[in-house]
Amino acid sequence: MEENLKWLWAAFSIAWALHIGYLGLLSGRTRKLERQLEDLRIQLSEQASDQ
Amino acid sequence: MRESIPKPLAGATLLTILASMYLIFNWVPTEASMGIVQRIFYIHVSSAAVAFAGFILGGCAAIGYLANRIGSRDDLSVACNEVGLLFACVNLITGSLWAKPVWGVYWAWDARLTAMLLLALIYAAYLILRQSITEPGQRAVVCAVVSIFGMVDVPIVYMANRWWRTQHPAPVIGGGGSLDPRMAFVLFFTMFSLAMLFWCLVRKRRRLESLRRNIDGLRREVQALA
Repeated sequence: MEENLKWLWAAFSIAWALHIGYLGLLSGRTRKLERQLEDLRIQLSEQASDQ
Repeated sequence: MRESIPKPLAGATLLTILASMYLIFNWVPTEASMGIVQRIFYIHVSSAAVAFAGFILGGCAAIGYLANRIGSRDDLSVACNEVGLLFACVNLITGSLWAKPVWGVYWAWDARLTAMLLLALIYAAYLILRQSITEPGQRAVVCAVVSIFGMVDVPIVYMANRWWRTQHPAPVIGGGGSLDPRMAFVLFFTMFSLAMLFWCLVRKRRRLESLRRNIDGLRREVQALA
């Protein structure tokens, strides 16, 4: 039983690490795109006011 | 901009996941022949069920995109397929870690396992293809076709251990096997909690795709004004 505990531990740890890692990856990519979007909006409003 | 995962949904998802972990580790009885390692079953089977549901939803969204060419359907399709692939990977890894103590090997090239691996590879190819096509309209059409192809493979993977001789056990859902009522309850509760997690991740992934679409639109406007 003790011997098999490591397989159970490994399976659940890897499963949750993958989910949390993916969530972190999505959050990072979202923040990066939000910054890009904000920069583009500022650039667009500056160009519009110039014209 | 609207938040991708509303706080009540995030809270409810976290609570159901914690409850399912409590049920798996503290409540459900230990299986007689395999012992404690059989508890991998709950996350292994639930991940497969959620992955299948994700691929089917992604395929239906792809059909919707091909029918109406509405961009949000392509966003939903890619979100479901990518998150479905994550769950398929969890299914394959937990399956290998369960197979080692029970079968003595991490992997066997039998029909069910190979079919599931091929399904995951189809969706990995889908994501690579998505990165490699730059024209948005063409990318969405080609990826929708691959998504539908992947969806058609789902029932083949599900039926693989009925149609061919395989080392993998018979299906516990709709397979005529008997499962202790407490084990069945924990299995369905874990499926429900993972389905909620799936939906949270899909919402977040869709938001990312919608941001990309907005950025592409604004870039075109900036170039037009320059």
